[in-house]
Amino acid sequence: MKTIVRKKKSDIKLALILLLPSIFLLLLLVAYPMISNIKISFFDQPINPRLPATFVGLSHYTDVIKDIEFYKSLGLTILYTVLTVVGSTGVGLAIALFFNRPFKFRKTARSLIILSYVTPSISLVFAWKYMFNNSYGIINYLGTDVFHLFKSAPLWFDNPVSSFIVVVVFAIWKYFPYAFISFLAILQTIDKTLYEAADIDGATLWQKFKVVTLPAIMPVLLTVVTLRFIWMFYMFTDVYLLTNKVNILGIYLYQTAFAFNNLGKASSISVILFIILFIVIIVSRKRVNLNGSSK
Amino acid sequence: MAAASSKRNKVIKKTGFYVVLVLLLGIMLFPFFIMLMTSLKSSKEAISTNPTLLPNNWTFQHYIDIFNPIIFPYLNYFKNSLIVALIAATLSVVLGILGAYALSKLKFKGRVTINASFYTVYMFSGILLVVPLFKIISGFGLYDTRMALIITMIVQTLPTAIFMLKSYFDTIPEDLEEAAMIDGLSRIKIILYIIIPLSISGIVSVFVYAFMIAWNDYLFASIFLSSSENFTLPIGLNTLFSTPDYVWGRMMAASLVTALPVVGMYALSEHFIKGNLTEGGVKG
Repeated sequence: MKTIVRKKKSDIKLALILLLPSIFLLLLLVAYPMISNIKISFFDQPINPRLPATFVGLSHYTDVIKDIEFYKSLGLTILYTVLTVVGSTGVGLAIALFFNRPFKFRKTARSLIILSYVTPSISLVFAWKYMFNNSYGIINYLGTDVFHLFKSAPLWFDNPVSSFIVVVVFAIWKYFPYAFISFLAILQTIDKTLYEAADIDGATLWQKFKVVTLPAIMPVLLTVVTLRFIWMFYMFTDVYLLTNKVNILGIYLYQTAFAFNNLGKASSISVILFIILFIVIIVSRKRVNLNGSSK
Repeated sequence: MAAASSKRNKVIKKTGFYVVLVLLLGIMLFPFFIMLMTSLKSSKEAISTNPTLLPNNWTFQHYIDIFNPIIFPYLNYFKNSLIVALIAATLSVVLGILGAYALSKLKFKGRVTINASFYTVYMFSGILLVVPLFKIISGFGLYDTRMALIITMIVQTLPTAIFMLKSYFDTIPEDLEEAAMIDGLSRIKIILYIIIPLSISGIVSVFVYAFMIAWNDYLFASIFLSSSENFTLPIGLNTLFSTPDYVWGRMMAASLVTALPVVGMYALSEHFIKGNLTEGGVKG
């Protein structure tokens, strides 16, 4: 009894000590920067931090709102996000259903399937750039010379549409294993007798999926889609490394800050994107369980 | 008759399954195959307009070249990446254990709020913070140092580390701790001798996860680092790619060796740990 009382008394002090380093770091490098974003967005900021900034009010925001590039970029980002989220989730689910049975080398096959997910983007990007090279890439060789799919070899990274196709396919290929693993784990927990009962009732494959599988995987599906949506919406690295023809929001922001040195305008873009993110988080908080896909 | 035909059906179905499986793996792994084969081709062969799957003349020259500092600064980039990733992952794990323990086992006011705010940070994307972080890091005089990268990587991985570890700690029964307390063990000793050994697989997963994030980071490296002695692999290799210095075979060899530490760590943790890092809401 005595020990329990003592424990309750000392908890808050100990908790603070244990959490202090984490809270300090997150305040300093996440919360403070976010607030500082708002401040910077009202100023014209020279790239040299020693020079004084001049107050410009809301002009960066009006700049962004009037910038046709911003809307183009927003539209492109939404398209990119929707296609890659649907694609990677769909492919992940299909392959998980395919894997959801006992077979030889299952563990090995599972590990191999995940390879694209764990390999650093920088390594994958070089392989893709090489494969899609205009003159000696294997894709154009197969597509034109072997299978005659294209009349003339597409110049993949030289035009916005074909570059967009490449970055979308790349993202689906790289990120589907996340959905695959999450779905495979939950599929294995579904009671097999439910399928047997459905069989007796003469249910078709689609009916079994709709009535048994889908409700069981729903929580995981929601988590996978929401998290993937957020991560794809703020994508920068993969697309930036692959091509300079697909100007998604992450790249628009990065270029504004570090190519055009307009830190103020870049900050106002950050604030606008943060508001969008915040709405998504509020909406998703109730539905998404971080560990929903773990067991 | 019926039994024989159903048996034959089964065989056909099984064969069909394996054919699809092999095709699937073939498509998914094709870029890796191209990477490996190109790294073993001569430079002339790599840019042939009649590409072949296998090299006509096998060569290991590119692998020898990337480890030769006179030709290619690969080893230096590798060293920088290793320093950043190891330190960031270690600190992330240590701070993660402390924070997760507090959130999982201690009862105090504000726990729910702290939990919720960590959750928000978890969804935060680095790209939104590039401008202020650039200013803060420059203000601290940390521009163009590995330290800048280490600190940002810890912050990037810490919320996930805390969440993953918390879910492991939550499964450790309270009785165990209470018994230890009656035996007179302090909280620190409980963490060291009970909590850590019981969640070692979670700790390894978090380490691998944090290491991967730091190892793969391009965004912050490109903002904070300016001199090539400090470059990590992603920024270093990408910079080389835009110089006339690049040779396809060499880039492919470098790409594969770059992937090796994380893929190796992943494979090991996959092998030894049940419920590994790709299960659960790991950012990536």
